[in-house]
Amino acid sequence: MTLLQACEWLGSSSIGTAIRTSKWGFALIEMVHLLALALFGGTLLISALHSCGVIFKGSPPGAIARELGAAQLASLLAMIVSGILLFADGPLRYYANAAFRVKLLLIAAAVLTGLLSRFRGEAKVAALLSVTLWLGAAVAGRAIGVL
Amino acid sequence: MTLVQLACQWLADTAIGTRIRESDNLFSVIETVHVLGIVLIAGTIAIVDLRILGILLKRQSVGAVLGSLVKIAWFGFAVMASSGLLLFWSEADKLYLNPAFRLKMILLLLAGANRWAFHRAHDSGIAAWSAPATVPRRARLAAIVSLSLWTGIIVLGRAIAYW
Amino acid sequence: MKQLNWKPVLIAGLLSMGSTAGIDAGAHHSFAAEFDGDKPVRLIGTITKIEWTNPHSYFYLDVKNSQGVVASWGCEAGNPGALSRRGWQRGDIKIGDTLIVDGFLAKDGSHLIDARRVTLPDGRIVYGGTPGDGGPEGNPSPPKP
Repeated sequence: MTLLQACEWLGSSSIGTAIRTSKWGFALIEMVHLLALALFGGTLLISALHSCGVIFKGSPPGAIARELGAAQLASLLAMIVSGILLFADGPLRYYANAAFRVKLLLIAAAVLTGLLSRFRGEAKVAALLSVTLWLGAAVAGRAIGVL
Repeated sequence: MTLVQLACQWLADTAIGTRIRESDNLFSVIETVHVLGIVLIAGTIAIVDLRILGILLKRQSVGAVLGSLVKIAWFGFAVMASSGLLLFWSEADKLYLNPAFRLKMILLLLAGANRWAFHRAHDSGIAAWSAPATVPRRARLAAIVSLSLWTGIIVLGRAIAYW
Repeated sequence: MKQLNWKPVLIAGLLSMGSTAGIDAGAHHSFAAEFDGDKPVRLIGTITKIEWTNPHSYFYLDVKNSQGVVASWGCEAGNPGALSRRGWQRGDIKIGDTLIVDGFLAKDGSHLIDARRVTLPDGRIVYGGTPGDGGPEGNPSPPKP
């Protein structure tokens, strides 16, 4: 099954159809996506600012990121699940959308950066890179609706 | 038309309002700043509230969390207020009549009142809140109210487009 | 020091919320909440009003039906930036021009369509929809002759 066929299948699945035809389905899933973004972005920003020594100056490196880890993972999962559901509303349209493709690439790069930084040092560089990539992904996400 | 409605219509018809409303990209840029700015204000406030509720950052005192995050939240407020003002400026006549927008503004006022009440009641006591169990029930209630209001504000902000 | 009782504030807020209910606002909307992807419509009419604005553009047509009765129809399209990226500039349509607009009908049955494919006076065809709005992919098929 090609990627395009998988997209077609997802779009015509019962979930995809339900979201596309319901009056509020798409809107509600978008709102969940946005709420998860608020929390995820918050954890990301605070960890990054701590890495740069701007806040929580008394805490050792990585301590704040560790304490925010659970909330960060939970909100990221919520974004991914809601994101997949939004995608299911019209997979072919997103498949063809340049901004969407760029967004997926930036997300992959950001997740990779996050995973790598767990095993290597240079927390400050990884934190700044992470924030930049996720910000790029968010802007690309906004561009989906505008391009 | 009421006086306020006329004022909103006038505002929307000004050169600045018209320029933003009829722009190719300016409106989208301002709107993007406004949407992503949610992280700065609501993201930080949510984390403060979750700390007050003893759900995360438990190794940091409430005072330390507040001290570290309050400036970010205020910066976020400045970003949201200015981008929000420009968005409103471009469509004041329509937004004034939009129920989701009106409700959002009311919730924002309530969130401000809730925060003011919290600080008035607890500022002197916050230093003593070490263990999560020592946070007074009223303070935790205020945190729940805050989380609810900000959830409502974000949801209504998106709902504006549906009315 | 007496603590502020926030209950009256909350009740006042709830009452204000209640009072705003029932206010009608002809504002902008997203596809699934407003339009029916199963109800394609073709309009042929003359332009009476143009709003080339964010977040959506609108143009209004006087459309004559099969009985010869003229009715006003609204067409919703994307924002100016999105339209210009599709080759549709602000000055391309003027009041009095005749347009053919293919779109989807508003769910509430009002005279509003989500303009998907627009045939301009010079014969060019442009896509008017807003991407990522949750609407169906592709344009509605032209009606059978």
